[in-house]
Amino acid sequence: MGKFAEYVKMAIQNIMANKGRSFLTMLGIIIGIASVIAIVSIGEGTTNQMNEEVNDVGAGQIYIYCSTDAEQADEYITEEDVEAIRKLEGVEGISIASTLMGDVVTGKGNFSLYLTADTQDAQIINNVDMKRGKFFTEGDVSEGRNVCVISDTDARRLFGTDDVVGMQVDVTCYEMTKTYTIMGVSTQKENGTFVSYTYEGAPVTMTVPYTSVEDMAEGMDTFYSITVQANKQMDSQEISQRVVNLLEQRHASSGKDYFQVQNFQDVLKLMNDMMGIVTAFISFVAGISLLVGGIGVMNIMLVSVTERTREIGIRKSLGAKTSSIMMQFLAESAILTVIGGIVGIILGIAAGFGICSVISSTQGMTITPGISPTVIIGATLFSCAVGLFFGIYPARKAAKLSPIEALRRN
Amino acid sequence: MEPLIEVKDICKIYNPGENEVRALDHVSLKIDKGEFVAIIGQSGSGKSTFMNMLGCLDVPTSGEYFLNGTDVSTMKDNELSVVRNKEIGFIFQGFNLISNLTALENVELPLIYRGIDRKTRRELAMEALKMVGLEKRVTHKPNEMSGGQQQRVAIARAIAAKPPLILADEPTGNLDSASSKEILGILKGLHKGGRTVILITHDNGIADQAKRVVRIMDGKIESDVINEHFQE
Repeated sequence: MGKFAEYVKMAIQNIMANKGRSFLTMLGIIIGIASVIAIVSIGEGTTNQMNEEVNDVGAGQIYIYCSTDAEQADEYITEEDVEAIRKLEGVEGISIASTLMGDVVTGKGNFSLYLTADTQDAQIINNVDMKRGKFFTEGDVSEGRNVCVISDTDARRLFGTDDVVGMQVDVTCYEMTKTYTIMGVSTQKENGTFVSYTYEGAPVTMTVPYTSVEDMAEGMDTFYSITVQANKQMDSQEISQRVVNLLEQRHASSGKDYFQVQNFQDVLKLMNDMMGIVTAFISFVAGISLLVGGIGVMNIMLVSVTERTREIGIRKSLGAKTSSIMMQFLAESAILTVIGGIVGIILGIAAGFGICSVISSTQGMTITPGISPTVIIGATLFSCAVGLFFGIYPARKAAKLSPIEALRRN
Repeated sequence: MEPLIEVKDICKIYNPGENEVRALDHVSLKIDKGEFVAIIGQSGSGKSTFMNMLGCLDVPTSGEYFLNGTDVSTMKDNELSVVRNKEIGFIFQGFNLISNLTALENVELPLIYRGIDRKTRRELAMEALKMVGLEKRVTHKPNEMSGGQQQRVAIARAIAAKPPLILADEPTGNLDSASSKEILGILKGLHKGGRTVILITHDNGIADQAKRVVRIMDGKIESDVINEHFQE
């Protein structure tokens, strides 16, 4: 061990004797490690942010829709089905969200309208916060009352104020006009990084009990698709299976694949997988620059061996063994890469934070780089491995020199 | 007394086959402990090859070489490194100091490879530098010193580990006459102190300083005489 310290000291002496060259050699490793770390941390940060936002919107949600086969067989989800599903264990709510297009006229003008016909569960499923008044209730749905909920933004567009609870509004859909009483104003969500809720010139949206629109259009008592809110603590995969089983049983369509499921978890997983692939690919490209850095180290070490042939001869004549020379040169490339690695990690983290804050401020998002110890340890080990791997060949070349040959050369 | 060096019938043949070169041709020689021997020969005489053999930098094609009682003629690279480190102190014509190390660090090198701890190493190296009169130059790098001083550092390096054999290959070849005289004086001093010194040279004037002169020609020992003019 004492000798090992000597080899490290010799290596450091030599690195210090060629400061400029040593720095340039390290630069390859620094850039390689830094870009890998920066890319992985930005990727991780983006994925985290995306998950958080999307989870906020849709965790535990199961989207069930009718397949083309079901449409041809004229099998749709019925009101009775919805009530039956509601009774299943783990089901916390069901949203129907059939949208009718229409118009609404107020003192502020004429607006196009999305009339969303839904159940009372739309509040929990869409995570609606009420600013004024209340969301419509089970009673409103079962009675088919003409009541509606509107967002504060849309209320201001329609009336210039969001203090509109109790006001009445005339809604026209498919040439039928009905008067709805506004019973609640919801808080419009801020746009997230990946989920947008509003855009300029969008139609105003009003949410009403689905039972209140059944006379406005054909087929409003059957549904093409529903969204089931599962208990977030439970396995949504299992619950979606239960829902499908129940539907198939009620429609006597077992094995016909009438009812398709899109699990929110699946969507999330797909999204994460895609982000993972993108990150992995970019990291791979960055990894190539690390490889090039490693070859740079090897190249410099080979030059160094050639330059120092005489020194190697002197050391050998004084009693240095093959292993001593090998250790000295290996220590040199290892030190270069390890220092390069450490600097690279620091710069990579800094770049990750820098780029994320630039994205955050210019795009109005908040992305915090995800720096995982795994990546840092991985990068460190990898840079050590690069140093040793690319150091071995030059070191062996140095160590194998015969002392007479080495001394003869100048 | 057992001789320090006993070379028995060694040959060194380069390019074995049709164009073979016999650099050493059945050479036998004995050198006792404490002797001061000059090996003299013209270039191409085989004296450099002989010096490489004696210095365990190379092994003979045939024959035996006992150094301090051990047969080194069949040793492998790593074993030869150990022998060189323990038994031999080299002094070269071109000094062969490592340029980015100080005088002290250069002298310490063989001690590092011997695995001597830092403190002892420093003491031994300082002692050796004192013997060659360079105790005031320990932190100088080779390019900050004159040729004579550099060769004195090299001598200090050769003697620091107290090896039984000092092997000097044309030690004055790159020096002016004043420095040469100084270096030869130090070598004589080492001999006087009881070390075995072998001086390899092509110069009769230098060889005359040694107590015994072995002349090599065409890979054979031509003469081996006691120098009558030798002065302590």
